[in-house]
Amino acid sequence: MSLAASPADTRALRPDGVAVAAAIATLICAAPAIAVIALAVTRDAGAEFGAALIREGAIGTLSLVLAGGAGAIAFGAGAAWLVTLCKFPGRGVFEWLLVIPLAAPSYILAYAYASMTWAGGSPFPVQGFWGAAFIYAVGLYPYVYLAARAAFASQSACALEAARMLGASPSRMFWRIALPLARPGIAAGAALACMEIAADYGAAQHFGLSTLSTAVFRAWYAHGAPALALQISAVLLVAAMVFLFVERSARGRASYAGGSSRWRPLPRYDLNAVAGGSAAVFCAALIVFGALLPLLWLGRLALLHANVQDIVQPFVNSIVLSGSGAALTLSLAAAIAVAARRATTGWGKSPLFAAGMGYAAPGAVVALGALSLFGLAREAGWVGGLGAGLSLAALFWTYAARFASAGVGPIDAGLSRLSKGFDASARTLGAGPWRRFVEVDLPIAAPSLAAAALILFVEILKELPATLILRPFNFDTLAVKAYSYASDERLLEAAAPALLIFLAGLAPIIILARTIERRRAGAA
Amino acid sequence: MSSVRVDKIRRTYGKTLVLDDVSFTAPQGQVVALLGPSGSGKSTILRLIAGLEHVEGGDIHIGGERVSGAGLTVAPEARRVGMVFQDYSLFPHLTAGANVAFGLDKLGRADRDATALKWLDRVGLKHRANAYPHELSGGEQQRVALARALAPSPRAILLDEPFSGLDAVLRAELRDATLATLAEAKTTTLFVTHDAEDALQAADRLVILKSGRVLQEAAPRDAYDHPASLDAAAALGPINVYKSAVANGVVATPFGNVNASQLANGAAANVAVRAEALMLAPGSGARVIAVRPHGAHDLVRIEAQGIVWRALAPARSALGETVSVTIQPAGAFAFSG
Repeated sequence: MSLAASPADTRALRPDGVAVAAAIATLICAAPAIAVIALAVTRDAGAEFGAALIREGAIGTLSLVLAGGAGAIAFGAGAAWLVTLCKFPGRGVFEWLLVIPLAAPSYILAYAYASMTWAGGSPFPVQGFWGAAFIYAVGLYPYVYLAARAAFASQSACALEAARMLGASPSRMFWRIALPLARPGIAAGAALACMEIAADYGAAQHFGLSTLSTAVFRAWYAHGAPALALQISAVLLVAAMVFLFVERSARGRASYAGGSSRWRPLPRYDLNAVAGGSAAVFCAALIVFGALLPLLWLGRLALLHANVQDIVQPFVNSIVLSGSGAALTLSLAAAIAVAARRATTGWGKSPLFAAGMGYAAPGAVVALGALSLFGLAREAGWVGGLGAGLSLAALFWTYAARFASAGVGPIDAGLSRLSKGFDASARTLGAGPWRRFVEVDLPIAAPSLAAAALILFVEILKELPATLILRPFNFDTLAVKAYSYASDERLLEAAAPALLIFLAGLAPIIILARTIERRRAGAA
Repeated sequence: MSSVRVDKIRRTYGKTLVLDDVSFTAPQGQVVALLGPSGSGKSTILRLIAGLEHVEGGDIHIGGERVSGAGLTVAPEARRVGMVFQDYSLFPHLTAGANVAFGLDKLGRADRDATALKWLDRVGLKHRANAYPHELSGGEQQRVALARALAPSPRAILLDEPFSGLDAVLRAELRDATLATLAEAKTTTLFVTHDAEDALQAADRLVILKSGRVLQEAAPRDAYDHPASLDAAAALGPINVYKSAVANGVVATPFGNVNASQLANGAAANVAVRAEALMLAPGSGARVIAVRPHGAHDLVRIEAQGIVWRALAPARSALGETVSVTIQPAGAFAFSG
C-alpha cells in the first residue's frame, strides 16, 4: 500500500496559503505578455512603414529559424544517435561534453566569430545570414541533442534488438526504427532551439539582419514608435507560443512513445575504424565550433586587450543584479513548483503554464510588456515618473516572468525527494514543524535549490535585450558592456566581458554534464 | 509501553470507504498482526494510530489516553508512537547513527549518541553507525529504521509491511531478529502484513481484515483452528471451498463429509477445507491430476466427481494414479451460505 497521503488528506492537514501565492505567481508571469497582446490590439500604431517592418522581420526570423533549426536538428539528432547507439573512440566523454555549447548565448558566439573573421583567425568567414545560421546551429544543437538522446535512450532495447536480429544495418535501423520512435523528442528539442533563435536579438543585430527581434528595437529606438514596437512584439509572442505549443505537445507524445519501463543497456553498434573515426571527428567538431574555439579565442583576446578598469563596475553590477534577480525568481519558482505538485485540478497547473509562457516569450517582449504596465499605472496616476527605481522593478519583473520556469524543474526534483514520507517519519519521531523544516526538508532539498539558484543567476547574467531596455541610465552589466563594445565595432574590448559571461555560463552546464555522466556511470 | 485500543473507526477517501467500523485492541507489550490483502485498509489503520491522518468516526486510545476521535487528532509528534515505514524513509542526508539519534533530541549530546549506539548495537549494526542510508543493504536499512523507531522508547511501535522488500531467506532471518529485538524492548507492537506465514509466526494476536472490515480478532492458534468465516479461513492458507446443503448434521463433499452440526438440516452451507487437512493414502476415491513440489510438501491436485481440490501431502509421498482421501475434522469448517 502506498504511504503517500491522499490529496484530500494533504488539504485537510495544511493551510492553503499556497493557492494565493500561486495566483500571484501566475499574474507575475503572464501579465507582461497579456499586456503586450492587449495593447497591440487596442493601440493604433499609425505608421505606414510598420507593415513593411513587420513583413521584413517576419521573413528574416522565419528564414533564420528554418536554416538554424535545420542545422541544430541535423547536428543534435546525429550526435545523439551516435553516442547512444554506436560504439566509437571517446563516446563516453563526448556524451557529456556535447552539451557544453549551451554555455554561451548566441550573441557571445557572434562577437567571438565576428572578431575571428575580422582578424583572419576564423577558418571560414562567419558573417551575414549564413553566419548567424551557423552560430545558431552550433550553439543551440544541444537542445535537440538532449531531447533526442533521452528519446533514443528510452527506446525499448527489445525493438532495437529485434531489428538487429532481422539483419538491419545501422543506417536502416536509424531511419526505420530509432528515428521515427525519437521523432517527438527531436521535435520538442527543435522547438526549444527555434524559440531561442526567434528570441535572439544580439547575434542578429550584430550581423545586420532584419528579424522581428531587431525590428522591435528599431521601432522603439530608431523610429520612436512604442505602439509599433508593441505590435511587432505581439507577432513575435504569437510565434513563441506556437513553438511552446509544439514543444509541449511533442513532449507529451515523447513520454508516451517511451518504450519499456525496465532499463536495460542498449545494444550498441561497433563502428569500424573509418566510421568510428568520422563519428569522433563529427562530435569533436561540434564541441570545437560550439564552445572550444570561441572560448579560446575570447580568452586570447581578453588577455591581450582587456581593459580591466572598464569592466570592474559592470562585473559588480552583474553580480548584484543577477544575485538579487535570482533570489526573487527562485521564490517565485518555488511557489509555482509547490502549487503544481499540490494541484489536483487543471486550474492548479495554471502557474506552470503561465511560467512556460513567460519562458517562451523573448526578453525584449516581456520587457516591453512590463514597461507598458508601469506606463499604464503612471497614466492612472498610481505611480510617479519612470525613474531608476521603477525601471529596476520592471527589470526584476521581466527576469522573474522570463526565468521562473527554468527554476521550477530543479525545485520540483527536490520536492519529489521530499515527498517520500520523510515528513511523516520525522513527525513520528517527535519533530515539530520548525525542526522538520530546518533539519529534514531543507537539507534534503538544498542541492536542488542550489542548482536552481545557479541556473537562474547565470540566465539573468546572460540576458541581453531586456536588460538593454530596462536598465537604469548608466547602469552597465557585462552583457550590456559586451554589446555596446561590439556595436561600436570595438570587438577586441568586447572580448573580456564576453569571456566572463561565457565562463559563468559554463558552471550550470558542467553540473548538467556531470549529471549525465553520473547517471550513465550509475546505470552501467 | 501502553495498550492501543481502536474503537469503531471510520475513514473514507473521497467516496471510497476505506475503513468501516474497525475495532480491536493491542494489549500492552504484545505483538499484533494486521493481516489482509492490499486494499484492505491495514496501512491506513497504522497511519491513523500514528496520527498522520484523522479519523472520521470512532476513537483511538493509547495507554488510556484518547488521541483520535471526532474533532480530535493529537499531532503525531506528540503521541510518542514509533513507526517503521514500508520504504523505511531513512533520512538520506544523515548517517545511520544520526538517523537513530534524530528522535532523541530531548537528551544531551553525549547521552543521545550513547543511546543511538546502544540501539544500533541491539540490531547488530554498531559498526555501520557512520554509513549513509544509500550505503546500507535493504536488510540493514530495515534494522536501522527499527532502531530509530525504538530509540525514543515509544508507547507503541507500528511496522508497515516490515519484511516485504526482502528476499525469502533474508526475510525469515530478519523476522526472527526483529521479533527478538521487540521482545527485548517489551513494546506494544502492531505490524501490517499480507503474508499469513509472517502473521502466524510473529504475532501474539491476529486482526484479519478485508475491504476495510475486521473479519476476526483472535490468537493465531484460535484463528487457524476456529475461523469466523470463509474469508477468515482463506486468509491463513490455501482452502478448498464446496457449496451444498446440510443433511444429517454434515455436508457431503466428493471427498468426504464435513461436520455441520451447528447448522440446521437442509440449510445451504459453504464448506472450507484446508489443503493441509486432506490426508491422502494409496487407494481409490479420487484421481491424482498433478503433483508439484511445494517446499516440505507436495501440492497435489485431486479430482472426484468433476471437482478439483488442492491437498498438501508430505513430499515424495508414494501416490498412485488414484488415492483415498480423509478429511481431518480440525481443518474443515462449515459456514451457513
